[in-house]
Amino acid sequence: MKFAFYPGCVSRGACPELFDSTIAVCEKLGIELDYKSMESASCTGSGILQEKNLKLGDTLNARNFALAEKSGLPLLTICSTCQGVMSQANARLLADKEYLDEINQELKAEGLEYKGTVDPKHLLWVLVEDIGIDKLKSLIVKKLEGLKLAPFYGCYIVRPSSALKFQENPKRSNSLEEIIEAVGATVVDFPGKTQCCGFPILMINQKNAVNMVANHTSTAKNEGADAMVTPCPLCHLNLDAYQPEASKTKNEPINLPIIHLPQLLGLAMGIEPEKMKLNKHIISTKAMLSEIGVSP
Amino acid sequence: MYEHDILIIGAGLAGLRASVEGVKNGLDIAVVSKVHPIRSHSSAAQGGINAPLTDRGDDWEAHAYDTIKGSDFLADQDAVEIMSREAGEAVIELERMGVIFTRGEDGKLGTRAFGGQKIARTFFVGAITGSALLHVLFEQSLKLGLNVYEEWFVTKLIIENNVCRGVVAYDIKNGELHTIKAKAIIMASGGNGRVFEPSTQSLICTGDGLSLAYKAGAPLMDMEMVQYHPTTLARTGILLSEAARGEGAYLLNSNGERFMEKYAPDYMELASRDVVSRSEQTEIDEGRGIDGNVLLDLRHLGRDYIEKRLGYLQEVSLEFLGVDMAKEAVPVRPGMHYLMGGIKTDLNGLTEIPGLYAAGECANVSVHGANRLGANSLLDTVVFGRRSAEHAIEYIKSIGQNSKSENDLKLERKRLQSILDRPKGENIAKVREDMAVNMTKGIGVWRDQKSIENALENLKNIKNRLPNVSVEHKGKFFNTNLIFALELEFMVDNAEAIIHGAITRKESRGAHFRTDMPDRDDENWLKHTLVYHDVNHENNVRIETAPVTITKWEPEKRVY
Amino acid sequence: MGARKESILMNVNLKVKRFDPGDSEGKTWWQKYKIDIHEGSTVLDALIHVREYEDTSLALRCACRASICGSCGMKVNGNAKLVCKTRIVEVSPNGEQIIVEPMANHGVVKDLVVSLDTFFNQIKRVEPYIQADHVPEKGEYIATNESMENLLTAMNCIMCGCCVSDCTVLEVDDNFIGPAALTKAWRFVNDPRDSKRTDRLKDLNDEDGGIWDCTRCMQCVEVCPKGVAPMDRIMELRESTLTNGLTNAFGAKHANSVNKSIKHSGRIDEFRLPIESKGYFNIKGIFSLLIPGLRMLIKKQSPSPIHHKNPNQSKVKNIFKNFEENK
Repeated sequence: MKFAFYPGCVSRGACPELFDSTIAVCEKLGIELDYKSMESASCTGSGILQEKNLKLGDTLNARNFALAEKSGLPLLTICSTCQGVMSQANARLLADKEYLDEINQELKAEGLEYKGTVDPKHLLWVLVEDIGIDKLKSLIVKKLEGLKLAPFYGCYIVRPSSALKFQENPKRSNSLEEIIEAVGATVVDFPGKTQCCGFPILMINQKNAVNMVANHTSTAKNEGADAMVTPCPLCHLNLDAYQPEASKTKNEPINLPIIHLPQLLGLAMGIEPEKMKLNKHIISTKAMLSEIGVSP
Repeated sequence: MYEHDILIIGAGLAGLRASVEGVKNGLDIAVVSKVHPIRSHSSAAQGGINAPLTDRGDDWEAHAYDTIKGSDFLADQDAVEIMSREAGEAVIELERMGVIFTRGEDGKLGTRAFGGQKIARTFFVGAITGSALLHVLFEQSLKLGLNVYEEWFVTKLIIENNVCRGVVAYDIKNGELHTIKAKAIIMASGGNGRVFEPSTQSLICTGDGLSLAYKAGAPLMDMEMVQYHPTTLARTGILLSEAARGEGAYLLNSNGERFMEKYAPDYMELASRDVVSRSEQTEIDEGRGIDGNVLLDLRHLGRDYIEKRLGYLQEVSLEFLGVDMAKEAVPVRPGMHYLMGGIKTDLNGLTEIPGLYAAGECANVSVHGANRLGANSLLDTVVFGRRSAEHAIEYIKSIGQNSKSENDLKLERKRLQSILDRPKGENIAKVREDMAVNMTKGIGVWRDQKSIENALENLKNIKNRLPNVSVEHKGKFFNTNLIFALELEFMVDNAEAIIHGAITRKESRGAHFRTDMPDRDDENWLKHTLVYHDVNHENNVRIETAPVTITKWEPEKRVY
Repeated sequence: MGARKESILMNVNLKVKRFDPGDSEGKTWWQKYKIDIHEGSTVLDALIHVREYEDTSLALRCACRASICGSCGMKVNGNAKLVCKTRIVEVSPNGEQIIVEPMANHGVVKDLVVSLDTFFNQIKRVEPYIQADHVPEKGEYIATNESMENLLTAMNCIMCGCCVSDCTVLEVDDNFIGPAALTKAWRFVNDPRDSKRTDRLKDLNDEDGGIWDCTRCMQCVEVCPKGVAPMDRIMELRESTLTNGLTNAFGAKHANSVNKSIKHSGRIDEFRLPIESKGYFNIKGIFSLLIPGLRMLIKKQSPSPIHHKNPNQSKVKNIFKNFEENK
């Protein structure tokens, strides 16, 4: 399988561990990543640019889609937020031909045109839909038995369900749980798994953002989770980097390590933790690693 | 004990319009409502509000005539004249309050066609006109700081020296009973759809105010005039607005024919509602229906148009029956929808009980007579809601202080406790269902002496069962079990008045169609039926009649 | 209702959260009900059946049964819904137990009945009535259909409270005005007849718990039973405040910083973004970033203060310029 790879801003910035683990895991999965086709692709706008100008945001995404179309390859994302913003933009572009034509006018100067054929997919969905759980299981070399994991999806990959095509692809709604089980670990269910991590308001209302982190991580911990896994690096940033602040609100350390989806797969596929930068998290992953008998 | 200048019972359109008038005039106004104002049944009205806008070449007399013809000449023409004359101002006033009416090309308020009228003079907000109007009036009530006794249930009217001076009300949230006194009361409690099954009306439409006024001695007028709306959704009975037909929808039988051609060749699907309902029922009864329904076909209007002008209808059809109106015709059938009858009032909303006014669906001025035109109900609520408030404001100037007596409260406390104390007996829902299903059978689109007598017999049976109806839940907090028992009693009173009205009127007129007396008899029956609760009479019912006021329009043959 | 005449029945398992303020302990408990009901029934049909025939003590609000009065909002299997239009087969395709609870973020009065005070206090905060300085001498205001039709989206709101129930911000901060009130505010900001547009935008911008506190989680969009999409309305309000030159709020600075960054390099500059969101001269704000920021730099060696441009960035910059010019 070959994909036009869209790493997003954060995996090349504040979460390099996501980028590294993705590369390592895709190699094992037999996924070929084409970097060139998307190298001049811009940020999706992250929902923030869309606040200032929705049409501008749609134009940037249409440009990204046009670049993918040019490569002839399906488009792969590794961030819930990238996925969600792209899906929403795509839904708007495909719903109104006039709107798409207007936007294509903006892309003309660069010789680009979005023809409406792109269907961006997150690695999470590719695993469940294109590779399949059975194939995935066959690639597992180390079952992570005994590891209790709380799934945290990230708003943008679960809502709105219509733009994310949940009805046509019902597996998407519990894809993360399926992956956790496929690698031999136990799913820890908790009410916050599809709630908000607070990242979008981190710079605006830190108190609320930190309280969200505190609620979700401590609840998961109380339900017995050893760690939390998320397909979104923005969620990871908040849940990991701001967990010390969240612990302060609870008056006791929460100490719940947060890992990226590819890191989880990598551990099950025998990739060294250091290669996936598991030692670069704010909340230490040491205890979790020793739980599964992996030296950090 | 609570005291106010004017107390309004019911926070739907009529109630809120009356309250707004009162507060604007600087009075101490309060509203008591058994639900939050925004949950009132006014929210369910869909199609629009009629008004002849004279600056567009329309004529109030044309609207008055359409209304009177629609009423099968039973409406009091002086009342209709008032409503038609004041309609234009009422609609503009609503627009000024902030209603987001749909606009025409010229930026002015847009109109759509509606039943029984040749000119399109129905102003509307998509297919959610009632909700839009109610929300705006609610906003105005917030702006004016209106005092609302929210989720308080009126159990009795307080009559002192033959004058209405207040209510006893039960706070649903905590089970406390209170006295609220006022110098004037405006009853705006809505209709009684739950007396029938099925009905388009909310579960809260149990005819409370009609019963309260009836028991206090006010006559209920023309109660046999119960409107069956032609287009209620199959199986669920949810209303599909006349607006669909106003926008051009067809009614088809199982042969795919637009059958209204046979019954109303001129107005077709936009004939008066009683005519359309009877036509549909005839088609169904004669074997040209589909599972007891006919079809409402909007396909030719196109998806875009449907979604813009009739969005809520499409939502209802899809969500409740899984039918996409742009692709398929929707099965519909006649369903009980509205009460033209009600508490008799004069032109100012005053009932026969001094101090007690009534406005909206629970009142009968009479502007709707034997059949109401679509989009006249919303008009009725705002025009007479305002008028009754205006008159009450003047009336209370000569009214003295409230008495301190709380005797009614003591009596009600005992009565409610005795209901709670009943041993386990009959189930409220079962008794209601038995009554309501039989009311629909007896007082349906068609009725005759036998069906009405059966209904009366059944009602007697129901009345015998009433004292055995028990309230299992004895709690104080949000005890809807007790509320339902009280509502059942109200509904039985309503059923009684409806049946007696139907037995009394020995002709067919408008919605009251007797297969054993199919002709209209102006010579003997151009009059209103009045039903009084009177313990000195057989069955505690006394019947009288009242003349119909004719001003300009002599009754003629009613053809659509 | 429709549940009576039809003959095909199905078995329904309900688990309902109960609470009685009269109970001295004040605890909630779960109660299970098992009933047979017509297969086309809604969750409301089932609850009414329980209330009428199984357990008359069960308290719930409902009226129209036609998704227009807004009474019957409650949580079904964890998400707020209008139960009168939630078909049982939708939430329980294979006879699974249906969990029904009162809406969250409102106070519970009894069982499934919640207090509406929270909701309407939020609504009142946005001055939800038209304020027009100019009234036409006679007749109606003249306004185009396009300008009014747009507002119908907000008018579809039936004040059911589902969005408020599932709002993730209200879960941690009851000072947030909330999605329903902000949608109401949007309706007045965009009503051509209202004269207070600028004041309204300013209040929504400045107020604690105003438009910038929404975390863009889309719960309200997902749960709204009437397609109002409150979050989209909030985003439009943000766009309106920015267009009106109100740039002092952290959220505005944040949006402008992202805009600037993508225009310049094609990506978000994670080093500068937090600083610009607080404001370069906001010493206290920047100080609050110090500890988490240093922690990240030390542990992760990122984000880097050095921020490279994407290849072909000039093309992206041109798109930005076109949009700026066309405003």
